Amino acid sequence: MNHTKHFVEDQLEILTENARKGKISRRTFAQLGAALLGTTVLARGTPALADDGQLVFVSWGGDAVDAYDEAYGQPFEAENGIRVRQDGSGPTEGAIKAQFESGNPTWDIVDADAFSAEALGKQGMIEPIDYDVVDKSKMRDGFGWEYSASSYFFSYIIAYDATKFGDNPPTSMADFFDVETFPGKRAMYKWGAGMWEALLMGDGVAQEDLYPLDIERAHNKLKDFKMHVISFWGNGAESQTLMLDGEASMALIWSTRARLLEQDTDGEVNFIWQDGILSPGAMAVLKGNPGGAEAAMKFIASAQEPERQRVMFDMLYQGPANPETDDLIPEDERRYNPVAAGNFEKQVPLDVAWYEENYGAALDAYLGIVSS
Amino acid sequence: MISSRPRRLTVILTVLIAIFMLMPLLAVVPVSFTPKRFLSVPTGELSLRHYRTLIEDREWIEGIWLSLRIGVLSAAFSTALATFFSLGIWMFRPRFAGVLMGLALLPMVAPPVVSALTLYFFLITLSNFNGIVAYDTMFGVALAHSVMIVPFAVVLVSVSLAQVDRRMDLAARAMGAGLGTRIFKVILPNIKFGVIAAFLLTFVLSWEEIAVTIFITSVDAVTLPRLMWQGLRDNIDPAIAAISVVLILIVIVVVVGKTVVQKLMKKRRAAPHG
Amino acid sequence: MARRFRPMILLAPLLAFLSLAYVLPFAGVVGWSVTLPEPGLQNYKAALADPLVLSVFWRTLRICVIVTLISVAMAYFLALLWVRGSPLVRMLTELCILIPFWISVLTRAFGWLALLSNRGILNKWLEAAGLLDDPLRLVRNEFGVTVGMIHFMVPFAVFPLASAMRMVDERVLMAARGMGAGRARVFLQVFVPMTAAGILGAILLVFVFAIGFFITPAILGGGRSVMVAELIYLRIFQSPDWGLAAAISVILMLAVSALLSLLLKQIRPGAEK
Repeated sequence: MNHTKHFVEDQLEILTENARKGKISRRTFAQLGAALLGTTVLARGTPALADDGQLVFVSWGGDAVDAYDEAYGQPFEAENGIRVRQDGSGPTEGAIKAQFESGNPTWDIVDADAFSAEALGKQGMIEPIDYDVVDKSKMRDGFGWEYSASSYFFSYIIAYDATKFGDNPPTSMADFFDVETFPGKRAMYKWGAGMWEALLMGDGVAQEDLYPLDIERAHNKLKDFKMHVISFWGNGAESQTLMLDGEASMALIWSTRARLLEQDTDGEVNFIWQDGILSPGAMAVLKGNPGGAEAAMKFIASAQEPERQRVMFDMLYQGPANPETDDLIPEDERRYNPVAAGNFEKQVPLDVAWYEENYGAALDAYLGIVSS
Repeated sequence: MISSRPRRLTVILTVLIAIFMLMPLLAVVPVSFTPKRFLSVPTGELSLRHYRTLIEDREWIEGIWLSLRIGVLSAAFSTALATFFSLGIWMFRPRFAGVLMGLALLPMVAPPVVSALTLYFFLITLSNFNGIVAYDTMFGVALAHSVMIVPFAVVLVSVSLAQVDRRMDLAARAMGAGLGTRIFKVILPNIKFGVIAAFLLTFVLSWEEIAVTIFITSVDAVTLPRLMWQGLRDNIDPAIAAISVVLILIVIVVVVGKTVVQKLMKKRRAAPHG
Repeated sequence: MARRFRPMILLAPLLAFLSLAYVLPFAGVVGWSVTLPEPGLQNYKAALADPLVLSVFWRTLRICVIVTLISVAMAYFLALLWVRGSPLVRMLTELCILIPFWISVLTRAFGWLALLSNRGILNKWLEAAGLLDDPLRLVRNEFGVTVGMIHFMVPFAVFPLASAMRMVDERVLMAARGMGAGRARVFLQVFVPMTAAGILGAILLVFVFAIGFFITPAILGGGRSVMVAELIYLRIFQSPDWGLAAAISVILMLAVSALLSLLLKQIRPGAEK
């Protein structure tokens, strides 16, 4: 009796050892292990063990999952034989932290906010970007950081109801806060980012004087204005509904949705770039990621290809991180590109360093006002 | 007497409640026929594209199938555990019953987000030892769901037990019935409805569970709610409206069918020679 | 001797399962409240001094109490019809309970939006009927949150109530009637007390469930009605401060347990009336 038990344990140990060393694949390991334990194979493997030839890319879900797969995942697999699997869980700062703290991260690359990645990187949870593999010259100036590489751009911009303001559209952030000239309800972003800048511009602060943000002044403005806000949206779908249903006459929304809204409403919803807040999206690699830092860095480098970034523009209207991509976008589509010449200059780039320092406390105070 | 025919006032109130319960669901029906790619009430033409998605897109079918299996597994497991536990408390009235009960209800009282983190760490630990009951596997999710839903089963079974006449069990014991006989022949038949209700309720809780699920799954164990919620930040797929309509139809068919069958059976029994 | 251990046969499986799979790792999470970022009680002090935390607790309590009372009352009516109505009534009630039960909370929240928003079905009808000039604000505020939550909770509350009602001994009611008690009196003084365990069970389920809710509030509250579960989400995921999140959770759980221990004493099987 005891003998068999020991035998099984022993066999399992050998299997585990081999799987760790990569001698047998994860799948085989699970099958053999299950066979030894006398159970059928239903599992798909232990995530704790790196599967050679797989990377898990974590994004925010929805249409992005298919887009990332098509633009970056499939070409990367074709080149390197490494499969890139898409997980749409949403890599919030806390979720990345939990992945690291568990001691066995299952994620490889995350589509995160640059300021989250920097903050986590300083706590040793993110692998520094290897700029020998990732090419800094394929990024816009100032958008490659220690722990994350910019991979796209999106802006917080003003979308407006063209059926109401078609003849006299808003031209600046001041107009967003002017409910006399532009009547109707407004919608703003619930998690604060970009909103402090908007509030300050609405209060008369010039673009170049925004940083460091005067949070108190922004919040005073919010206190006065929030009665005009019908909803503080927490996700893109919600912001879209507010404009589609005509519940808000103006909204600060992500530029990635602006094109879709314009299309879905046959131009009844329009938008402007003036005083938009331009934010970078970034890729970062978890410390101790199952697929190995080397493969992950290679993936990030592969996502710098202009042709691939163009697919992301076509599918999700992400502004390309690599300036070379701009030229691949046809003339008539360029007005949807947040970083295209002519659009870029009208906006304020979000200050990643400021957010890294102050986001938590500022968000706390912001929500306090929103919810009171 | 009173209650075999509930009074008129009750009926009127209940009709109002019924409208309240069904209205938002009826509002979903037209949405499922929208020709657009986002949730909207169609204004002109109608389309079946979102129903086609359900049938053609393997993701949805697999998600539904996975959620069904996880629901049955975790509901059966947690209802069984909860039934024995509640019986133990009721029959033996152990010391510290209150503390034990509190322990059993803990996952219900704790904020779901905290439970998500807790179960994530637990499943990652399990993943180090095996690949079956682990992070991002069917059995792993079933285990986590069992933890989350077992308190609800405990409450339901305990409510039923509180109504059972204790003298029945005392009589059985006095006549020398063993523990098994007392449970299976005497008590369980009396709390049958409570146990079935517990199973149904826990199944639905598992079927709906997202707060914990989204955190303990990644690319392999993609349940139906996970598929639905993935679009939340970006674009909610109107396929979820189509799924809802299909589910509404299934419930109607089952409930009406059940009533008709019961009626036929009654008639047959009433007839002289069956 | 052996007899003393017999209860353990029944109690042990659940206790062993929960201890291993939940209580142990949970204790670790709770521990953060006194260890992160450094040992001490600073997280509790910070949580109790934070006006946001206090206002969120107060809102959560207010909404949950209202939701619990209304949904349990509604569920009581439905359960009554379900258990004691004629076959046709029974079937219709069953539909009202089971249809919403199976539909995702996400879909239901959007159903409410379609119905109640400023440009929603209800406001359009009322305007067309000439009853309104300005739309009623029914969602994207606390009212909308309350409505959505009640709708979600009613089917859950029905089950314990129906379980209890099914076990009411018909003969007791007949005896009461036989002694000349009026219908209303029999209902209120005999029937309702006999279903007390079900009522308490339903209150417990709904209240505790409601406390942990945040999807419905997030969608129907217009971003304003932040409830405690969302606050904890914020502290764990959005701008992580795990020590503070753990402290808020512990305070919440203590408050909820204190409220419920009173109820629990009543429904704990074995507590004889």
